[in-house]
Amino acid sequence: MLKSIDRKVSIVLFVFAIIYLIASYRLPAFSYSIVDADALPKGLGVLLAILSVLLFFQSPHEKPAFKLKKEEVAILLSVFGLILGYILLFEFLGFLLTTIIFLIVTSRILGYTNWKSIISVSLGFTVVLYFSFNYLLQIYLPQEYCHSRKEGLAWKH
Amino acid sequence: MFNKRSLLFSLVLVIALVLSACGSNQSSGNSGNNGNDGQATDDWKPEKPIEVIAPAGAGGGWDTTARTVSKVMEQTNIIDKRLAVVNKPGGGGAVGWAYVDKKGGNHTLFVTSPPILFVPLNGQSDLGHNDFTPIAGVIADYAAFVVSADSPYNNMNDLIEALKEDPQSISVVGDSAPGSMDHMQFVKAVKAGGVDVKRLKYVSAQDGSGMSMLLGGKVDVYSTGLAEATEQARAGKVKVLAITAPEPLEGETVSEFKTLKEQGIDDQFVVWRGFMGPKDMDPEAVAYYENAIKEMMETDEWKEQRDNFGWNDNYMSSEEFKKFLDEEYKTMEELMNEVGLKK
Amino acid sequence: METLNNMLYGFQVVLTFQNILFVFIGVLAGTLIGMLPGLGPISAIAIMIPLSYGMDPASALILMAGVYYGAVFGGSTSSILLNAPGISGTVATSFDGYPLAKQGKAGKALAIAAICSFAGGTISVVALMLVAPIMADFAVSFGPTEYFALMLLGLTAIASLSEGSTTKALISATFGLIIATIGIDQQTGTQRFTFGNPNLLEGIDFLIIALGLFALAEVCSLILTRKKKMFEGDQSVGSLKITRSEAKEISGPIARHSVLGFILGVLPGAGATIASFMSYLSEKKISKDPSSFGKGNIKGLAAPETSNNAATSGAFVPLLTLGIPGSGTTAVLLGALLVVGVQPGPLMLTDHPDVFWGVIASMYLGNVFLLILNLPLIPFIAKILYIPKALLISLVIVFCMIGVYGVSFSTFDLYLLLGFGVLGYLMRMFSFPAAPLILAFILGGMMEQSFRQALTISNGNYGVFSESPVTVSLLVISLFSLTFPILKGKLSKKGNLNNNNDLSA
Repeated sequence: MLKSIDRKVSIVLFVFAIIYLIASYRLPAFSYSIVDADALPKGLGVLLAILSVLLFFQSPHEKPAFKLKKEEVAILLSVFGLILGYILLFEFLGFLLTTIIFLIVTSRILGYTNWKSIISVSLGFTVVLYFSFNYLLQIYLPQEYCHSRKEGLAWKH
Repeated sequence: MFNKRSLLFSLVLVIALVLSACGSNQSSGNSGNNGNDGQATDDWKPEKPIEVIAPAGAGGGWDTTARTVSKVMEQTNIIDKRLAVVNKPGGGGAVGWAYVDKKGGNHTLFVTSPPILFVPLNGQSDLGHNDFTPIAGVIADYAAFVVSADSPYNNMNDLIEALKEDPQSISVVGDSAPGSMDHMQFVKAVKAGGVDVKRLKYVSAQDGSGMSMLLGGKVDVYSTGLAEATEQARAGKVKVLAITAPEPLEGETVSEFKTLKEQGIDDQFVVWRGFMGPKDMDPEAVAYYENAIKEMMETDEWKEQRDNFGWNDNYMSSEEFKKFLDEEYKTMEELMNEVGLKK
Repeated sequence: METLNNMLYGFQVVLTFQNILFVFIGVLAGTLIGMLPGLGPISAIAIMIPLSYGMDPASALILMAGVYYGAVFGGSTSSILLNAPGISGTVATSFDGYPLAKQGKAGKALAIAAICSFAGGTISVVALMLVAPIMADFAVSFGPTEYFALMLLGLTAIASLSEGSTTKALISATFGLIIATIGIDQQTGTQRFTFGNPNLLEGIDFLIIALGLFALAEVCSLILTRKKKMFEGDQSVGSLKITRSEAKEISGPIARHSVLGFILGVLPGAGATIASFMSYLSEKKISKDPSSFGKGNIKGLAAPETSNNAATSGAFVPLLTLGIPGSGTTAVLLGALLVVGVQPGPLMLTDHPDVFWGVIASMYLGNVFLLILNLPLIPFIAKILYIPKALLISLVIVFCMIGVYGVSFSTFDLYLLLGFGVLGYLMRMFSFPAAPLILAFILGGMMEQSFRQALTISNGNYGVFSESPVTVSLLVISLFSLTFPILKGKLSKKGNLNNNNDLSA
């Protein structure tokens, strides 16, 4: 029954539609409007529920469009983890440092071996971007690494 | 797939870089701190670039004010550090305010105007004007209520009579959310004229299509700012029923606009703009910025820009600004309670 | 005759050494800024405003206009090469532009984009010059009901946007609409699905969804194929060569979408993004071979590229003739005019004819500069694809991150971006098309607001939707567009019983 991937997906979608519908019914009413803020969400929730039921009963694809090998999953997950780390450290360490580290580590993990070009490209790309944003365009990418810490010290005294 | 050695190497590299960066910075942070202590406290001066937050996207009123003031300050060297304008758009200002509150310190300012009262009253921001330090009021603008040139209404009283008869027969459009500025300035005015404001029909056009809806005959009244109305009125495309200035204005076209008071409606509404800082800003720093703004507003560079934008000077010291805000807040709170929009 | 005189006057204004220089600086800065991640025309103009303090008004607007269409021009580069649309107007460009680049025809794709941008820009400037005053009335004739019908028309085209299961395309679209409901509701101020998070109050930025679903999802695919070469064989990636038959092929779309793009650009609120999507969809609808769209059809590249540049000139109509900004970008331009002491409004043509005609004349020049600037650069830019994949992947990730951060300055949006990247990849895995989601997201917000604005004005009377002839005809076309593929599908199903899974047009 649940062998086909489409059916699994349709059940997830159905559950999502129900949660969305519940959230829609909880939206507060606004006394002045003719069509209130909850009208469209309710409609969309019902529509999604119907579509997911339709998907369930349609002659489904038995398999996903492509399958992943275990090692590939590992690579994807590690890149995911790296991006997550990048975001976490972005404002803390500042754009320059975080980006250079990220570029070096990611390229390395993806199997690029030429250290010289990794380092020169990472440095070049990051520094050029940084200077064109912060100085030419005056759009401020985070610059002071360990920023929060410094501010914290400066204002506690 | 990847070999362990390179991974390990990368890891070590990262750790080394992070540690060295923080280590070196901690010491520089401390030295900066010492420098701060060394300075006389009653003569505070900025030590690094100042962040001027515009809690909205590029191009709006807050952004223009921030960029103009920062430009004039730098041109005239009143503040010799850079004033970097940073946009923090979102939530009608709420995102920018949250940022300033979190950041704190003496080197962050932001531009603000009546939404700092409306948005918290609407329940869309936990932070309100009391969570920040008023620095100085800078400019004032006024609201204008506009109808198309072929409208049956020729003055504010015509409109108010029609609204008294049937509030549902007239649609009012504004560029802001219900319960925010364009809406409440109109509500306030017609309430002073005796209209049952609970049944008003307000259409919110937040993509800025209010004027084109009015010119296209889709709505009856446009509640907007004076600047938006003036050029259209000069071209004869629209009629300005009333402006919310306390006194008639001087100037080529604007002198023809009647104030609410001139038409016997006891109401006024000032669209003020000014600067605020985080709650923990030192009084010395507040005094420094207050003086800098005052000085800036006397320069020719400022006067030229101000006239280009059609702004009116409205300087308020930090103290006056705070008192003004408290009073305005009370008025708006009562009004929104009455209309049933306060959350 | 009068137009000709005015135009000559315009060229007199432009053809001074100083103003030619400003056109050049403007388009150069615009192209370069447009190529940077996340920075579209709005940021480009806002950045240039401080430079214009104290400038002559005509020169200032000439500079700003150059920055504006230069940025739209430059925005297509990352769309084509990296599947990473830097601005919303170039999302549709990536649909066929990126497949072309993957086939090793990056140079050709960029050249087509440049030529179409040039043609769209130039043709629409002619239109701007000839019909601007007439179009002013058209611009304000669109109200809530007309916009609702127009957005609905766009939505009904969704079934045609995707290959494979129609149900899945509709699910994607519904999802796009659901995402569009996040944030403060404009008509009531109610917070919808924000979970008290201030970062969600204004909804999710379009760029986050586009970069996540397209660029980051593509990054995942690139990671899996990183051992393989970007393209088979020894292609000359940088080659600009366009054959005679190809030139003939794109001439139709150029003519059609210069007009369509210009008209949609004139409407305040529609703009380059909607214009480029509408052009892509309509080009696909009338194509004899719709299934080749999305796989590197040059018409599918030519249509949106022509259209988004034509829409840019169109956006000047309400700005210059009425003083009404029709989009975020023209609102910033309006601010730039104030800085130099010009009050934009209906009287600008009489008060400042030098600004009005000077800007129009400068746009001819600017478009020529853009073409001359860009064509020789293409072979070098296209070489980006020679960067080893492992390195390119990391660079694209950073590109997306900066693109989002440079607009919102919030790390919360970066997490969202990552989330949409994962969603985009899962959608590929389970064969859900991404294009309907993004299209529904763009159209959905405006459609809902227009619908409710219309009903507020009419006190809840649905008859308001039958009052305007424009609304009625748009609704009829939508209905036709919706039923046609289903009828066609039923017919072909009768003839071909084995193929029971194919409902899409």
